[in-house]
Amino acid sequence: MIAAIKAPLIDWSALAPFTSLTVGAVVVLIAGLVGSARLRSWLVPGLALVTLAVTAVELLSRWNHPKVIVSEALRVDNLTVTLGLLCVGAAAFAVILSLRSDTEEGVGRGEYHSLLLFTTIGMLILIAANDLVTIFVGLELLSIPLYVLCATELRREHSLEAGLKYLIVGSVGSATLLYGLALIYGATGSTSLPKIGVAISDTGALTDPLLLAGMALAIAGLSFKASAAPFHQWTPDVYEGAPTPVTTFMATATKAAALGILLRILVGPLLPAVDDWAPVIAVIATLSIVVGNFGALGQDSLKRMLAWSSVAQVGYLLAGLVVATSLGIGALVFYLVVYAVMTLAAFAVVIENERTSDDGERLSGFAGLGRRRPWLAGAMTVSMLSLAGLPPTGGFIGKLAIINADASGGWMWLAIVLVLGSLVSLGYYLRVIATMWMTEGSAEKTPVVKQAREIVAVALLAAAVTIAAGVLPSWPLERAQDVGQTVISSR
Amino acid sequence: MLNSYLPAIVFLLLGGVVGTAFALMNGIFGPKTNRRSASKTSPYECGLPSDVQQGFRFGISFYMIAMLFILFDIEVIFLYPIAVKLKEFGAFALVETSIFVALLFVGFGYVWRRGALSWR
Repeated sequence: MIAAIKAPLIDWSALAPFTSLTVGAVVVLIAGLVGSARLRSWLVPGLALVTLAVTAVELLSRWNHPKVIVSEALRVDNLTVTLGLLCVGAAAFAVILSLRSDTEEGVGRGEYHSLLLFTTIGMLILIAANDLVTIFVGLELLSIPLYVLCATELRREHSLEAGLKYLIVGSVGSATLLYGLALIYGATGSTSLPKIGVAISDTGALTDPLLLAGMALAIAGLSFKASAAPFHQWTPDVYEGAPTPVTTFMATATKAAALGILLRILVGPLLPAVDDWAPVIAVIATLSIVVGNFGALGQDSLKRMLAWSSVAQVGYLLAGLVVATSLGIGALVFYLVVYAVMTLAAFAVVIENERTSDDGERLSGFAGLGRRRPWLAGAMTVSMLSLAGLPPTGGFIGKLAIINADASGGWMWLAIVLVLGSLVSLGYYLRVIATMWMTEGSAEKTPVVKQAREIVAVALLAAAVTIAAGVLPSWPLERAQDVGQTVISSR
Repeated sequence: MLNSYLPAIVFLLLGGVVGTAFALMNGIFGPKTNRRSASKTSPYECGLPSDVQQGFRFGISFYMIAMLFILFDIEVIFLYPIAVKLKEFGAFALVETSIFVALLFVGFGYVWRRGALSWR
């Protein structure tokens, strides 16, 4: 007779963000079955927003209460809270931005929103992961609903193409990561991140080719998800083909999740191996900055341009990771949040312009937008200036913080690459501003489509936050430094 | 280091030799005919002439039912260990299993309402 097995201790309050999102996703799926289409059209997005709001509050309550839960599988600390809030916020804005898109034509409202919530859970798990197995589970839970989300506009060929492309390339990325994780496990004998850290510093396994190969494969796998060069080839096609609200979500939340876990692995257990991985990350950062900025130069489609620009932005973010000090991590986290906000503003404007004009996502569709809709053009201008890194925007402060960290950490050449890359990027960001304000054009759709107030509101809000982060940067910068401090000290 | 890989190398060599031998033996010992007879080009179906016509398509419902069957079938497998050892696991496992089954029912209800089970 075996003795009774003791029930595991479960910290429900720390687990709450994960459970509430799961329950919400299931409820939303069921709500999508309601018979009346009218009722569905507000009930489903409403329930999704309530779920996300509850999750955000639960996450906020865990600030400065770090805790390791579910037998050391998840770590809910300040990094989890910050990036988790970013992902939850991105999901909420994706819900708002897709309020008027006709998801019923595609997969159905319930499925669309439920998939969005499920991929958000995957992001939370990935960011909070404290174990190699949890990392992979989180990554798959993030990826699989996202593959489907890309293909939700079933009647449009490009949407299906985007979904299939993302599925194939994403699976290669997942497989690469899994292989890397397996090798790291083989080299250290544990799947738990803290125990891997102990094993590395105890045995001096740093020169173990198994560990080095595992590290390289894991970095490559996560670079696929973050779309850093040379693993970025899928990005323009998928970003262009996917429904624009989904693209917005991918450009902000997926990147945050991928960079979050990269940060947790590299600056956590693999920190003793910093001399091995820092040059690799520096090379990936340089490639991303060069390839992204030059790729964006010739683009006529705004969605494609923003895709290439997001590759370059990942390069800037990785330049913050290279330093591996609390200064560098703080700069990375700050810039990640600012990047998400300014990208949100840009995509919101693209969505609204797509709805109301004939070739809305082409550059020509933005001609004369400044005269037609000055507020919308204003939000786009702020976003472009911030992405280019000009003051007085958050993008300027973020880049400054990363350059500062690079210079103080002995990576001066990377800081110079970053500045030169930003100079090149002016070539395509300013072109959008010039097209909006300095050319005539009337690309209005006939018959004229009613303007969507909520999308304009999102664009203006994001633009306002971008400027606020540039004018009053001290509070968010200090919070970002807090996060950096907890990551460094928690290992 | 090479010693520890010896079994793997032997296995690979042996596999290659046996595989090649079997593939070549047909050509060496079999009847030498170059005729492409009808039975050679048609799909092999237990040695009987094939009943399936070219261009025949399975209805999508077959795939739907098969996929859903596999999903629910595998999920039931998770119930076996708990059913066998429920006394030892105690109330905790019972609650966990109830939640699991409830989620299964949600999935079942969803599939039903969306019409995946109706034959088309």
